[in-house]
Amino acid sequence: MTAATETDRALVDRVAKGDRAAVRLLFMRHHARVYRFVARQTGSEMMADDIANEVFLELWRQAPGFEGRSEVSTWLLGIARFKALSLLRKKKEDWIDDEAAAAVPDSADTPEVVTMKEDKAAALRRFIDALPEEHRAVIDLAYYHGQSVTEIGEVLNIPVATVKTRMFYSRKKLGEALKAAGYDRGWP
Amino acid sequence: MSAAEKMSRRDEMETLLPFYLNGSLEGSELEAVEEWLATDPAALAALGEAEAEFSGASAANEAIRPPADALSRFARALDAEAGPARAQAGSSWLAQAWSRFMAVPVGVAWAAAAVLLALIAVQSLVQPGGKGKDFEIAGAEDDLTKMPFALVRFKPDAKMSDIAVFLDANKLKIIGGPTADGIFRLGIPAANAADYTKQLGLIAAQPFADTVIEGRKPADGG
Repeated sequence: MTAATETDRALVDRVAKGDRAAVRLLFMRHHARVYRFVARQTGSEMMADDIANEVFLELWRQAPGFEGRSEVSTWLLGIARFKALSLLRKKKEDWIDDEAAAAVPDSADTPEVVTMKEDKAAALRRFIDALPEEHRAVIDLAYYHGQSVTEIGEVLNIPVATVKTRMFYSRKKLGEALKAAGYDRGWP
Repeated sequence: MSAAEKMSRRDEMETLLPFYLNGSLEGSELEAVEEWLATDPAALAALGEAEAEFSGASAANEAIRPPADALSRFARALDAEAGPARAQAGSSWLAQAWSRFMAVPVGVAWAAAAVLLALIAVQSLVQPGGKGKDFEIAGAEDDLTKMPFALVRFKPDAKMSDIAVFLDANKLKIIGGPTADGIFRLGIPAANAADYTKQLGLIAAQPFADTVIEGRKPADGG
């Protein structure tokens, strides 16, 4: 356990006792990552804004029940994931579909044509963005949020074996996309 | 080792590489990846590819910028939140009283509940917004604020049920406090000074009373 983690937990203890300053500190520490996680999951920054706020209000409400079995960051991402999925199920508004549609690359350009305009790093980033949400979430949680296999399982509420399977197929798809774009990396 | 087994091991290692990079791998899986990196010529190239994915995922996330006013809007939303019932810092007299109340017999629970409600109302008034005041009034009624009172501190081990029964039997009410040092303002329904003094003596004689200080007496002064 790192010192930073202990500090997070100490702050949650303070929140549990009604310390509003502590929840604001946790907000400043974790908000950007929670916001980005939800934005990537939902494809909507508007929803990310609402949900990220709700996550920290939930932290305020639920802090007395936090048992410290997981890291605070994992706990927050788990709340965010649950809220995002709940909202996505409730809301089927057209604007969500529009935003998702806007994220899909223009079919007028083949992947090869598009990639020719980019360098490998930009292509890779685009391929990551184009992964199915359940695969992209595993990539984001591992690479950007620094989560372990077990922690990703907690956030996404899936078994550890499923986390590994999704990671395998995510990386395999990225490799195949890169290969199709002329960047053969030797695997898969 | 067959080609299929080699591929299987490669797949497994490729699956674990992101967790090796983010430092969360441990135990036998960490050892397996390190051994692979040390012995397989293709491993270092694979690590480089994973590092590129690491950069790509980070860049994709960092490109998303949260609104600049997120904190101020959250702070306003937080201020509107009452929050759940929370344990008071440390082991306050009220927290201890509440714990004891949870174990009182049903027969006296109603009386204790009445007192606790009064105490909780008072307690809520002396929380953050009420800091620095000597007393907070539990109700706005004139008859409470003008009635004779005494200042009472209960013993730390006082039982809520004992206090509740005593207050109820003698028509006494907690109308203010507690102060930082645990003193409550106890309303005394005395018609005159003599009655007031008598009731103060009665309170002071109770085993749960720690300190009893004379406050406002009835109008005849005594």
